[in-house]
Amino acid sequence: MNSYEEFSKKDKPTDYFIKLSEELSKLNEELNAFNVISESSKINKFPISVKDNLCIKDMETTASSKILKSYIPPFDATVVSKIRGKNNFSFLGKTNMDEFGFGSFGVNSEKCPKNPFNTSYVSGGSSSGSAIATSILKYHISIAESTGGSISTPSAFCGVVGFTPTYGSVSRYGLIDYSNSLDKIGIMARNSNDIRFMYDIIKGKDSYDTTCVDVKCNNENNKTIILIDELIKGINPEIEKSFLELVDNFSKMGYKIKHKSLPFIEKAIASYYIIAMAEASTNLAKYTGFKYGFKNENISEKYNEFFTTSRSNFGKEAKRRLVLGTFVRSASVKDMYYSKALKTRTLLINELSKVLNEGFILSPVMPIKTPKFDEINKFSPLEVYKTDILTIPPNLCGFPHIAFPYKYLNGMPLGAQLITKHWNDYAIIDIVFEWENNFKYNFKYNLGSL
Amino acid sequence: MKIGLEVHVGLPTKTKLFCRCKAYATEPNTAICPICTGLPGAKPMLNKKALELSVDISNALNCTIEKETSFVRKVYFYPDLPKSFQITQKDMPVGHSGTLKINNKVIGIRRIQLEEDPAKILREDNYTLIDYNRSGQPLVEIVTEPDITSEDELRVFMNELKSILYYLGVDVDQDIKADLNISLSDSRVEIKNVTGLKNLIDAAKYEIQRQEKLIKEKQKISQETRSYSEAKLSTISSREKESDEEYGFIFEPDLTTYSLQSIKPKEPVYVSEIAKEYSKKYHVNESQLLEIISFDKTSLKIIQSFAGKYEMKSILNAILSFKRYGKSELKEKFIEKAIKLIEKGSYLDGEVISALEKGKEININNNVVNTDEIDSEIRSIINKNKQLLEDYKTNKKAMNSVIGMVLKKFKTNPRIISERLEYILSNEFKV
Ligand SMILES: [Zn+2]
Repeated sequence: MNSYEEFSKKDKPTDYFIKLSEELSKLNEELNAFNVISESSKINKFPISVKDNLCIKDMETTASSKILKSYIPPFDATVVSKIRGKNNFSFLGKTNMDEFGFGSFGVNSEKCPKNPFNTSYVSGGSSSGSAIATSILKYHISIAESTGGSISTPSAFCGVVGFTPTYGSVSRYGLIDYSNSLDKIGIMARNSNDIRFMYDIIKGKDSYDTTCVDVKCNNENNKTIILIDELIKGINPEIEKSFLELVDNFSKMGYKIKHKSLPFIEKAIASYYIIAMAEASTNLAKYTGFKYGFKNENISEKYNEFFTTSRSNFGKEAKRRLVLGTFVRSASVKDMYYSKALKTRTLLINELSKVLNEGFILSPVMPIKTPKFDEINKFSPLEVYKTDILTIPPNLCGFPHIAFPYKYLNGMPLGAQLITKHWNDYAIIDIVFEWENNFKYNFKYNLGSL
Repeated sequence: MKIGLEVHVGLPTKTKLFCRCKAYATEPNTAICPICTGLPGAKPMLNKKALELSVDISNALNCTIEKETSFVRKVYFYPDLPKSFQITQKDMPVGHSGTLKINNKVIGIRRIQLEEDPAKILREDNYTLIDYNRSGQPLVEIVTEPDITSEDELRVFMNELKSILYYLGVDVDQDIKADLNISLSDSRVEIKNVTGLKNLIDAAKYEIQRQEKLIKEKQKISQETRSYSEAKLSTISSREKESDEEYGFIFEPDLTTYSLQSIKPKEPVYVSEIAKEYSKKYHVNESQLLEIISFDKTSLKIIQSFAGKYEMKSILNAILSFKRYGKSELKEKFIEKAIKLIEKGSYLDGEVISALEKGKEININNNVVNTDEIDSEIRSIINKNKQLLEDYKTNKKAMNSVIGMVLKKFKTNPRIISERLEYILSNEFKV
């Protein structure tokens, strides 16, 4: 049974939603999970939250950026209208994130999101708020988005299940673009049943997104887990020890464990950041303060000065990616960076497809333990980018993947990630379901329990 | 002298290139949506009809059409560009390496690409208005090699191109826009955004004169971008910052690659070839024939269906008479009746044409006259008495005596004589 069915069957006190809304608003002051919480009068059905880079008609949508402050979209993203069309759900609000999705830890947002298990730890990013909301609400599903690991990472840090489907299976219409060829809308929930339930609602062809297609999702499982040497070798020893226990558990569940070496996989990080930044720098070009968002009051400025003033409101990481992205696509260096990165992606898709035909790739989500806020400050940008080594390969190649909690270490959850071939999405959801029969997830908060 | 062109042609589609808004709406900012105003989260979707038309054009201009085509983002900041990038084509255009024959020469076509039009800027004294109706309207850009070597060739090329487009259903009379590249020396001068054929020819003329003068004075011609001022009849240097380096083209990731193999192009019509062939075969004036058929499908169809059946001269005469006096569109059955009248020696005036259009029977016996004889009589009278021309300039009635004299010789309808007289005065004596 999924949470929605369970929720529907239970009797609710008359003030249930008002109480839920109050409790959530109070806790949100501490955790910063939501950028916007809907008025309590508008919440009367199963609550869904949506990452703040997805447009909801008449609800402020800023992708956590100052430059989009007070922007209210006049249209719903396709996923939002699909959920709305079911008439069974209420939109609880918009969840906090790294500005435009630029980040792995959630710290690139003005109101810093905090880990619900312990507020001195980061929540992970960029879909920080979606993971926190899922971790604190008993009945809840969140619509998140991943470009390079933005679903897996916060899911792992906040102890929820995070599913990133095959690129092209969910319409991106109404998603504020980070990197169009990499952005994927996915789902966070407290169990695999909820993931499957919501995936069936939001997936499918949309004439408003050319890259979104109808392909029947498969469920092929040859009971083989593959460990890629290059992905395991650099991880934190404590994480490695716990992860090997997980591998043992899969072995006990009847899975054959295979080891493989794929040195080429290390090229994924450079290829990913080049493509992502190149595309991002074109996507951010439209924010000139001209029609929406940040209002530059000095309208007598010449156009160049006008948009330059407006664009000074981008955050630091956004500026970094704009500069790097603009550089890598300049004509004189394009072949060295952008074109090469595209070729690398194609090669990696071919290489990894071969491996994934033999079984599922399993790895931790992050090579490090959940960092504390004061540890993050010591990382250089390059060190931060490198922590994405485990989540970038499936994201760069558009392979479906799912993160799930597998252990609690000193009170903090650890997450692992399963990757499968294109359009075999149901298989990994089912494996997590299988895992959930042996392992019970813990949550610190259960707001709205009945 | 080397002249190259980048011609921008608006495609006659019902909707815009990447959204479902009505194309060519007139009331400002009424045909707009999140896609063509570049709202965050909106994505483009390609109008297949526009793609088909661009394939028709590429095929008509003998281009190589590859298996697939794709789009790129061209990034620059300007108030008319809502996304701050234009969706256009670069490495995989719809067509490339084509040709267009003019007179006895071949002009190379470098590439043909499909792209979106930016919004329209209306500059007022102390403010600027933007009309997003134009944003996202479909454009085809036709880029030629610098093979045009004279103003005259430029005119012929543009007429030929416009006629080909017209026969493909792309009528571009008013808003044909082009960038001109003109080099008389090693320096290439680009004149951006010239609207309309007349301005294009004028801009070329003034730029050629300017460069000739600089060469004569042994001054250096600088490589630059200029704009044409219709009011000043000259080209003016304009600062252009962007180059390919800064545009930073990347593949448009919200679109896919599109197959061109499944598109069957429309058969092109080359009127200059038809005019050449018919003028040789039927002994009629080539340029007159070309003028009749360049932008007139109906006339071409009539000529093709009657060729061989009637004298070509009579067919053209009938068409021209209808074009001069006719009130409705050309109709094959009326033209055929008119041809028969002409072939029996009848003269077609306004009254006859009007009767034909109303389906009235014409009693041709009253109307048989040889206008050639009337014409030569008129000419000889005027030539013998040049004072008549001077008088005519101040007094239109001065020519009435001529009508009387001709009428005495040919007992025919005075209206015909008066019409021939008027025609000769304006066309031959230029009064
Ligand atoms: Zn539109």
